[in-house]
Amino acid sequence: MPNVDIITVQVLSSALRSICEEMGAALVRAAYSTNIKERRDCSTALFDARGRLVAQAEHIPVHLGAMLDAVTSILSLDPEPGDVFILNDPFRGGTHLPDISVISPIATPAGIIAYAASRAHHADVGGREPGSMPADSEELSEEGAVIPPTRLMAGGRINQGFMDDFLGRVRRPQERQGDLRAQVGAGRIAARRLLDLVGRRGEENVLAAMDEVIAYAERRMRAAITGLPDGVYRAEDWLERGNQDLIIAVSVKVEGDKMVVDFEGTSAQEAGNLNCPMPVTRSACYFVLRAITDPDIPPNAGATAPVRISAPRGCLVNARPPAAVVAGNVETSQRIADALVLALSQAMPLPAQGQGTMNNLTLGSDEFNYYETIGGGAGACPDRDGASGIHLGMTNTLNTPIEALEMDFPLLVESYEFRRGSGGEGRHRGGDGVVRSLRLLKPARLSLLADRRRHGPRGAAGGAQGLPGRNLINGREVDGKVTLSLNAGDVVTVETPGGGGYGEIRSQDLIPKKQ
Amino acid sequence: MGATTPLLLGVDVGGTFTDAVLVSNGSLFRAKVPTTVDQSLAVVEASRKVIEMSGAAAAQVSYFAHGMTTATNALLERKGARTASISTWGFRDILEIGRQDRPRLYDLCPSRPEPLVPRELRLAARERVGPVGETLPLEAEEVKRVVDRLRRLKPEAVAICLLFSFLDPAHELRLGEVLARELPEVHVSMSSAVLPQFREYERFSTTAVDAYLTPVVARYLMTLGERVRTAGLPEPAIMQSSGGVMPLGQAAASAAPLLLSGPAAGVVGSIYGGGRSGIDDLIAFDMGGTSTDVSLVRGGAAQTTSEREIGGQPVALPMVDIHTIGAGGGSIAWIDPGGALRVGPESAGAEPGPACYGRGGEQATVSDANYLLGYLGEKLGGADGLALQREPARKALGRLAAELGLELEETALGIRRVVGAEMVKALRVISVERGHDPRMFVLVAFGGAGPMHGADLAEELDIERVMVPDSCGVLSALGMVVGDERRDWVQTVYAAEGWDEQSLAGSLARMEAAHAAETVGAVLERRADMRYRGQSHELTVEVGERMSRDELVRAFEHEHEKAYGYTAAEEDVELVNIRLTALRPLVPVRIGDAGRERKSARGPARGTADGREQTSRDRSAPGSRSAFFDGEWVQADIWRRGQIGATRVRGPAIIEEDEATTVVPPGWECSLDEAGNLWLETHKLERSDA
Repeated sequence: MPNVDIITVQVLSSALRSICEEMGAALVRAAYSTNIKERRDCSTALFDARGRLVAQAEHIPVHLGAMLDAVTSILSLDPEPGDVFILNDPFRGGTHLPDISVISPIATPAGIIAYAASRAHHADVGGREPGSMPADSEELSEEGAVIPPTRLMAGGRINQGFMDDFLGRVRRPQERQGDLRAQVGAGRIAARRLLDLVGRRGEENVLAAMDEVIAYAERRMRAAITGLPDGVYRAEDWLERGNQDLIIAVSVKVEGDKMVVDFEGTSAQEAGNLNCPMPVTRSACYFVLRAITDPDIPPNAGATAPVRISAPRGCLVNARPPAAVVAGNVETSQRIADALVLALSQAMPLPAQGQGTMNNLTLGSDEFNYYETIGGGAGACPDRDGASGIHLGMTNTLNTPIEALEMDFPLLVESYEFRRGSGGEGRHRGGDGVVRSLRLLKPARLSLLADRRRHGPRGAAGGAQGLPGRNLINGREVDGKVTLSLNAGDVVTVETPGGGGYGEIRSQDLIPKKQ
Repeated sequence: MGATTPLLLGVDVGGTFTDAVLVSNGSLFRAKVPTTVDQSLAVVEASRKVIEMSGAAAAQVSYFAHGMTTATNALLERKGARTASISTWGFRDILEIGRQDRPRLYDLCPSRPEPLVPRELRLAARERVGPVGETLPLEAEEVKRVVDRLRRLKPEAVAICLLFSFLDPAHELRLGEVLARELPEVHVSMSSAVLPQFREYERFSTTAVDAYLTPVVARYLMTLGERVRTAGLPEPAIMQSSGGVMPLGQAAASAAPLLLSGPAAGVVGSIYGGGRSGIDDLIAFDMGGTSTDVSLVRGGAAQTTSEREIGGQPVALPMVDIHTIGAGGGSIAWIDPGGALRVGPESAGAEPGPACYGRGGEQATVSDANYLLGYLGEKLGGADGLALQREPARKALGRLAAELGLELEETALGIRRVVGAEMVKALRVISVERGHDPRMFVLVAFGGAGPMHGADLAEELDIERVMVPDSCGVLSALGMVVGDERRDWVQTVYAAEGWDEQSLAGSLARMEAAHAAETVGAVLERRADMRYRGQSHELTVEVGERMSRDELVRAFEHEHEKAYGYTAAEEDVELVNIRLTALRPLVPVRIGDAGRERKSARGPARGTADGREQTSRDRSAPGSRSAFFDGEWVQADIWRRGQIGATRVRGPAIIEEDEATTVVPPGWECSLDEAGNLWLETHKLERSDA
C-alpha cells in the first residue's frame, strides 16, 4: 500500500460513503416508479476496478449481499469508459426481475478506477401479470423480461436496439424509461463526485483508500465475530405453499473470528416462485450478521470476507435456472433471516419473531400498476414490547401516502389501522399487525404474495405466538398467495401478522401498567 | 422610526446562556446571563443588563425581537399539552404508523418515538373526502358524538387531521367551529390551516406538533409579555424557524413554526455579518461544544427546506435548511474495534469538560487536541478565564497515541482531521448535495470552536476565504434584531389535467387574497413546487413577474439537471404546490461603520502579483507561542483580535478574543476589514492546481 495513513483513509471513506448517499438521494427524487420514489426500494454503491464493493447506501437490506455479484457479472464484457451496463437476470448478478441494476464505469485518463451501481425495483418489467409480481409463476420467463448483463450505453450513446426491445416488452414503457434515466443520472452524479475527489486527493490515494477501507471492514467484522460465543447453532423454520410447508434449515458455526452458515437440510427448489438465487440468500445472512454485530461496520467486500455461506445446489435457497424466483427475494429472504435469528438466539438474547413477510400486494391493468408491501407486528424484545405496523427484516420500504395513491390510481383506501390484539402475549407483548383495505374503482388483476398465514410468528422465552395474517376479498378469506381478476367495487383486505411475545407472563406483570 | 435614534434589542435563549445585544446609534452592546428555568426571567434580566450598559432606558427601546427554545424543549422532552386527534374513520393510527419504516435499518428490536397523541386520545369521525371531493358527508350527529367523547377525555389541545382536507377543508372547519363553541378552553389545530399540502402523514404530524406545542408556548409567551410590559419594554417579535420574525400574538396561536427559533437566528446573524462586508454567498459554520450547525446562504438569503424531522416528528413547514451534527469542541475521541480513530458523538459536556479543564475529565476531546497543538492558549475566555492544564490532556491523548502507534502530535492532528471529516460531510450535504459548488462561497466560521477549524475545512472544500464575523460569540442574538418579519403559506394545487400561466396566476391570486389582511405593506415572494409527470418529489422554483410557462419549465429543468444529472425535454412538467412568502424588511441596522466607505464590495482586496510584498507585517505581533503546523513545532504569532488594525497577519498565527480563537495556518493570511470582520485567505489552492 502506498503511504496513505489511517486518518486519510477515514476521511476518504467518509467521502466515498457520502457519494453513495448522494447518488441514492438523487435516484429516489428523480424516479417515476412508486416503488422507488415513494417507497425507496433501491440501493446505490461504489465498486473498485476489480468489482469489489467499496461503499454502499442501502435503503433496504435485501440488496446488501446481492449487489456484490452485480459488477463481477459485467467485468467479462470488457467495460470501457463511456459504457453503461444493465442487468436483472437473477442467475447472473440480479435478484428478481423487477430489480434492475445499472452500472457505470468511472474512468480517469489512466483507465477505469471504479464502478457506480444502482439497483431499483421497477413497477413493471413485463411478463404475465401487471406489476411483474405474479403469485403463481413457475418459470422465470413468466415473471418478465430477463436482461442478462448488457451494454445500455456505449461510448456515451444509448443502445437503441436494446431499449426498443426492452420497452416493447414492458407495460408503461415511458415510466421505465424515466426510471432508467434516473439511474443513469445517479451514476453520472457519482462519477462527477468521485473524479472531483481524485482531483483533490490524488488518484493513488483514493485507490489506496478503497483497498484500506475494505481491509478495515474485515478487521472490524473479525473482531465482532470473535465477540460471539463459539459453537454450532441450528434452527428450522418454514414457508407456506398451499397446505404444504417448505423447510428452511440452517446451521451457524461460530469459530474464533470466522462464521460458517450452511443450509443443508433445506427443501429442494419448488415448482412455484419461492426459490432464491444464492445472492438473495447471502443478503439475508449478511443482514442478520450486521444486525447482531455492529451496523456501523462499513458494508463492503471486507465485512463479508470472514463468513462462508453454503447451500446445496438446487435447494430452495440456491435455486437453479429456469426456476421462478419473484417471491424468493421478498418472502423466502425474510424466512432465511428469521431462521438465522432463531439459531443465534441460542447464543445471545434476541427478540421473538416479527411478522416475517412483506405482504406484497400488486394491483394492475393496462392503465395502472400499484405495488405495496405492508408492515406488521415486530417481535417483542427481551426488554420491551414489539413495535406495531412496522417493516422488519429484509425490507424497510415506506408506505404509499393514501392521498398520493388515490390521486394516482383508481383505488379507494377504506382503512389503514392497527389490527388490535394481534401481537402475541408475554412479559413483553408482540407488536400488532395492521389492516389495510382497498376498494377497486376499476377492474384489475390482483397478485398477493404473503406468508405466515397459517403459522403465526413464534414467541420467545415462553411468550405466545402472534396471530397469523389473513387475506380477504370482499370479506372472504383467500390463500396467502393468489393471483386473480377483480371487478370494480371489490374490496381487498390484508391483515398482517402480529409479532411474537417475549417471556412468560408472571403474576406481577398482571398489575395493569400505566397507559 | 422618525428622528429619535432607533434602539434595537435582541435576546437569544440558549441551553446554558441567554445572550442579549442592544444596537444603539451604531454601537453594539452585549450581555450574557445564565439561562433560567422560567426562560422569561433570564430574558428580562439580560435585557436589563444590556440596556444598563448602553446607558439608555427601557422605555427608549424601539424594537425587541426574541428567539427561544421553549418549543424545541417541550417537543424533545415530551412536555407538551395533552393532545387528542380527530381523523377520518378507518385511519386513526396514521400518526403512529407513520411511513411504516423503522428508523435504523439493522435494528432487530425497532422502536419509534412515541406518537404525540396516544391511541386512547385518537378519535375518528365518519366522513370522507376523496381526490374529487366529498364522498361521505359529516353529519351533525357525528360531530356531536365526537365532541362529546372529546369532552370526557379532557384534552388541552386537539389536532384535526382529515384525509384530503388540503383540497376541501369544509369538514375540518365544521369540527373546528363546534369545538370552539363547545370546548372554548381547548386549543385546536386544523391540518387544512397548518399545512394545506398533500401526503397525509406529514400534514398530520405537523398539525399534531402544532397542537401539542401551542398551549405550552402560548403560556410562556403570555408570561413573557407580562414581564416585558412590567419592565417597560415593547412587545417582542418572535423568531421563527424560517429566519423571519412574527408578532407575539401570532406566535402564541401556532407554535410549530417556532421550532428552530434560535439556530435560524444564527444564520440570519451570519447573513448580516457577511452583508456588512459585501458578501452574500456564504456557508454558515457554527461549531459549539457538543454540536455543529451548518447552513448555506445564497444571494443573501438562507436556503429553506420543508422536509425535516425534529424529535422524530416530521414538521413540513419552511425552515432554514440547517444541518446539525453531534460533534463539537467537547466531543470525545476513541478507538473502534477495527483500530480506527473516532470522534463523538459522546461529549465531555461542561462537567467534567475536556481533560485540559482539569476537572477530572479523563478522555481526550477535540479541545484537548487543540490545546496540545498550541492552538488554544493557556486560558479560556480572556484574562480571568479558566486556566487549562497540560498534564491531564497529555495523559488522555497519550493513551490514544499509544494504541494507534502514533506520536502525540499526530494523534492530536488526527482528532482534528477525523472531526473535520464529519464537518466536511455536513458541509457537503448542504452545498454539493443541494447542487451548490462550495468554492463559490465564503465560509463564515463562528461559535466557540468554529474559527479554530475554519481554515482546515475550507481547504478540504477548496474554499479560499473564511470569515470570522464581528460578535461571533453572540451572533444569534444579533440575528434577532436584523431578521425581517416573515410569513409563509403553502397550498397544493395539483390537478391531473395540468396547468398553464392562467391557472397558476389564478391560484396565486386566490392565495394572496386569502391572506391579504396579513400581508399589508409586505413584499411578496412566490414559488412553485414542480416535477416531471410521474415523479413524486418536487423541486421549488421562483415564480417571477409575468413568467411564461416555458420560462418556468426552463427554470425547473435547470434545477433538475443540477440535482439529478439529467433533463427530459419530452416529459410533461407538473405543478404541485404554490408557496407564498410575505416579507416586511426592517430598517437596516448599522453598526460601527456608519457612514464609512467600504474598502471593497467583495471583502478585503485580494492579493495581486505584488500581493506577497503587501503582506509584510507593518507591525510585529504582540506575542508568540510554540504551535504544531505542517509536521513541526514552530513559533506562531499571537494576536488579540482588537490589536490587528490594518496589519495583514501571515500564518502560522493565532488570533484570540474572549469568546473564540482563530487559527491561521501556514499558507493563510488574515486581516480585519472595516466592518470588523476577520478574513482568512489562502493562495495555496490555486498553487496546488497549477
